[in-house]
Amino acid sequence: MTSSQRRRTTRHWSAISESGSLGGIRLMLAIYDRFGARAYQGVLFFVGLYYWLRRPIARRASREYQRRLKTFCPSVSLPRLTTVRHFTTFGTAILDKVLALYGRIPPESIRVEQRETLRNAIDSGHGGIIVVTHLGSHEVCQALGRLRRDLKMSVVMHTQHAQRFNSLFAGIDRPLSVEMIEVSDMGPGTAQRLQARVAEGGFVVIAADREPIETGARRRWIDFLGRSAPFPEGAFRLATLLRCPLYLLVCARQGQTHHVHFELLGDAGTLSRKAREAWMTDTMAHFVTRLEYFCCHYPLQWFNFYSFWQSEQHNVRPPH
Amino acid sequence: MANTELTELERDVANMIIEALELEDITADDIEPDAPLFGDGLGLDSIDALELGLALQKRYGIRLDSDAEENREHFASLRQLSALVAERRSD
Repeated sequence: MTSSQRRRTTRHWSAISESGSLGGIRLMLAIYDRFGARAYQGVLFFVGLYYWLRRPIARRASREYQRRLKTFCPSVSLPRLTTVRHFTTFGTAILDKVLALYGRIPPESIRVEQRETLRNAIDSGHGGIIVVTHLGSHEVCQALGRLRRDLKMSVVMHTQHAQRFNSLFAGIDRPLSVEMIEVSDMGPGTAQRLQARVAEGGFVVIAADREPIETGARRRWIDFLGRSAPFPEGAFRLATLLRCPLYLLVCARQGQTHHVHFELLGDAGTLSRKAREAWMTDTMAHFVTRLEYFCCHYPLQWFNFYSFWQSEQHNVRPPH
Repeated sequence: MANTELTELERDVANMIIEALELEDITADDIEPDAPLFGDGLGLDSIDALELGLALQKRYGIRLDSDAEENREHFASLRQLSALVAERRSD
């Protein structure tokens, strides 16, 4: 598919501005600092409303997601004005992301649900891949890096896209143990770097619920909330190359508490080459099942405001 | 069938590529030394690039810099990759 075709039909997420204006985020942060969380939430409703009016693509995506979610798990309870709420919840998550990266999430507000799994993962020294999603704000977990100084992470992300967001943090010192890697720079050199990271018992953090940016990049169509959607193979393939365990990390908010879910999705440590494909299939399916579970559990916290499913109609499916 | 003769090192690197990526129905002689490895030529993609990076380290002990642009040049073709191996191998 050419980029002009893509523009004409559904816009790829990477073409959609992510974070609103930087000035806006600064202003919201100032409101939070000056007047507190309650005032922030109050203003946020109007900000949400503004974006709801101004961002038809995101609005439609939100509606589509909720429709599928309701069909998939009928017991899910969604508040009234769901789409606006979805936007304002995103506003809360943005604040959490910002606070997390400034190191201002109080450790006592974080509850790790699978403490044992996390501790074992770090202490085993085997390192691994940590798959993250657009559900909740996984940045909060960087606060864990401050708690466990020996937790070393390389975060692979589309930094160019989030550059404006990142420029907020130009002045702050990230924990040295967290390294950022631009996803479009991924190449033979990066592979060696990531391998070294895992070899020292560290972790490679990579998102797995957005269509890959690169045209022709490997993706798999997997049923998600009742209809097939393109999931990138990258993180899973990387686990087979680096021969390491692969974990899922979800950090979502419930009231004032950040719930951290940390699960082992699969281990490619002793995988034979022949078994790779089957492992990928199983592990990706397992991942999507867990993502569905968390969507049902935290219905308004999946922040993928572009048409994740619709791209199916405009992409040519790979022949195999 | 390629019409250009491969040097011994080029053949060795070509075999590394074939083995690392488990390319089927391809022999070293099928790889044009100057054809692009990625995209139009041999048709490799970014995941293959990761795998080649690891294979290169394992087979020849080559540590790549993280400069993406420079690596793109090294991995442009079999000939260029072989030149890198000749220069930097430490196996």
